Amino acid sequence: MDWSILGMWVAAALTLAVFSLLYRDNPFYRAAEHLLVGVSAGYYLVQYFSSGVIRKFYVPVFRQGDLWLLPGGLLGLLILFRLARRTQWISRYAIAFYVAAWSGYLIPSTIQERVLTQVGATLPPALSGAGFGAFLGAFIILVGVVSILIYFYFSAPHTGVLGRISQIGITFLMVGFGASFGYTVMGRVSLLIGRFQFLFQDLPRTLGG
Amino acid sequence: MRARPDTRGRAGRRPFYDLLMNVDRRVIFLVIAAAVALPLVFPLHLPVQISPEARAYFDEIERLQPGDQIILSFDYEPDTMAELDPMSYATLRHAFRKRLSVIALTTYAGGPGIALRVLGETAAEFGQQYGTDYVFLGYNPDYSATILRMGESIQATFPTDHFGTPADSLALLQGIDRYADIELLVSISASALTEYWIIWAGGNYGQRIIAGNSAIQAVLIYPYYDSRQLSGFLGGLKGAAEYEKLIEHEGAGLRGMDAQSMAHLLIVCFIVLGNVGLVMQKLRARGDAAGRAGSAG
Amino acid sequence: MRKTGPVVFGFLVGMLMLIQYFTPNPWIQARYNNVLDWKQVVFGITLMLGVLSLVLFHWRKIEQRQKGWGYSVITIAGLIFMIAAAVWRGQNAGPYLWMFDHVQSPMQSTMFALLAFYVASASYRAFRARGFHAALLLTAGVIVMLGRVPLGEMLGFHAGERYYSLATISDWVLNYPNVAAKRGVLIGVQLGIVATAIKIILGIERTYLGKGA
Repeated sequence: MDWSILGMWVAAALTLAVFSLLYRDNPFYRAAEHLLVGVSAGYYLVQYFSSGVIRKFYVPVFRQGDLWLLPGGLLGLLILFRLARRTQWISRYAIAFYVAAWSGYLIPSTIQERVLTQVGATLPPALSGAGFGAFLGAFIILVGVVSILIYFYFSAPHTGVLGRISQIGITFLMVGFGASFGYTVMGRVSLLIGRFQFLFQDLPRTLGG
Repeated sequence: MRARPDTRGRAGRRPFYDLLMNVDRRVIFLVIAAAVALPLVFPLHLPVQISPEARAYFDEIERLQPGDQIILSFDYEPDTMAELDPMSYATLRHAFRKRLSVIALTTYAGGPGIALRVLGETAAEFGQQYGTDYVFLGYNPDYSATILRMGESIQATFPTDHFGTPADSLALLQGIDRYADIELLVSISASALTEYWIIWAGGNYGQRIIAGNSAIQAVLIYPYYDSRQLSGFLGGLKGAAEYEKLIEHEGAGLRGMDAQSMAHLLIVCFIVLGNVGLVMQKLRARGDAAGRAGSAG
Repeated sequence: MRKTGPVVFGFLVGMLMLIQYFTPNPWIQARYNNVLDWKQVVFGITLMLGVLSLVLFHWRKIEQRQKGWGYSVITIAGLIFMIAAAVWRGQNAGPYLWMFDHVQSPMQSTMFALLAFYVASASYRAFRARGFHAALLLTAGVIVMLGRVPLGEMLGFHAGERYYSLATISDWVLNYPNVAAKRGVLIGVQLGIVATAIKIILGIERTYLGKGA
């Protein structure tokens, strides 16, 4: 029994079951959808347990003797108190730990990389004067970034000069959203191409075609 | 289903613009399916041009020397593998052809299954040995902590590889424990993971990074490429096709370009159709209003 | 204890993770590494909890014979099968990996592939150029859609001696106005995220702790 060929035909049947939703909701689609939920849940549970619990806690603590990781296990156990309403408050310590830690290391890095570096990339090219085309492009980026940031300033009404600059910002935003729309269509169509490649190119090979 | 307003004119027929704007959606579905399926069965072989960012991605790997280490992060799951698998396959073919040492990992729980398949197939194709030519460190929960922790110690972040082998016993990882030991990091991602690699691995530790992104993510990556925080990137299935052309190996990316072209053309036609209907509707309304004003006066 | 304790604990952890960026002090760097390791364990267990919640939902549906409970039996059966397969033959071979490759992957991909049909239908029905900004969005979208496929390289116009393909125009749109738009949004959103992060560390923002915090 060639399990991989059987698997391809099972995959094809399930693919068509999901596609059947396009006509209308039906029991085949529902069954396939619930099977996906169950199989995915089982898959992810195994992954989280083997990587989060076994590899990141059990192996370092009990096989390598790194006791500094014990608090991590304790905090992880605190999360489980979330299951009962009366003890939910205990899980707040673990949640506060996680969210606050993330907030702490996020602040300096993202200010540096997403704000300062991005601002730095906007100003100098516009002022460098390296060829008219490059200057024009950099100037467009500069005008766009500044006008969008002014548009996002909602502490003053968008009237007068502020209003006119905000309108320029909105214009740039519309072009950006249009580009995002174009790429979104591209992305979704690509996913469909992938499934059709499987059905029309890969699957026929199992028949010797 | 919502009742459609009765737009029949005096002759009892629906106006043409109404037909234009209300094609049944199942007809649209069928036409889209045909636009995608037919070019796959009857290819058109439309030529693919290379974008500067794809060429930069290729050049970053091409400049490396045999034995140089790269990290390849499979930051995606089966939902986007149609776009990103071609990039992963092509990147590994390029890397193995150049005899680079590949340290693979994933920040998504659905990543291991994908990585095992892609690594297994490409390693077998090039006769690469696990442990000496490539390793797979597996999945680590919490991407941000993983990225940051790797900057201090890769082996502390991944005490074992995906198969349970202690990291310090793997030949490829001898003397390799930080980003400073890695020549290049490649993130194949469908989400903001590429941005987080840039912020934390690139920003905090100066790691050189290139990325393959799904189309939806790629449009957000341009500012990082413009600021040189990212040294090259591939955008969507077209990006994969460009890279496949550069490494001279036809894969799913190149094979899908005809279907991509036809589907896009069709969707643009649908949009134009809908807007033509809108213009006709507005002209009709204006004409009716003028007629009523004339008969009243 | 119930409300203030977590906030104070969060403040201490948050400040440690903030200060570590600015100091090479070995003790602080060592605690920083510890916190990163603990975070990964907490994250893994939290995600397991999410899966268990899903299981409980379907289990209750079966117990109470709610509408569609038969489908929940399929869900629970799939879950149990995957766990049993991983325990029996491991997660790198056998039925666990087979189910991932031939059941989960194809279905997950197909679910997202459905969106291609819906985006086409939605584009047709809803994408109307009713004003200047909508027309601009539409134009940029069409240029990028056609410019980023091989067809875009064949469509274009001559201006003097030079040929401008849709691909060239699309590249210009993506590398200039699009960069401006995305960069402006990036900076603006990031400043907002940083403000929220500061409020979380200082305990001003507590909604993430749940009701009653």
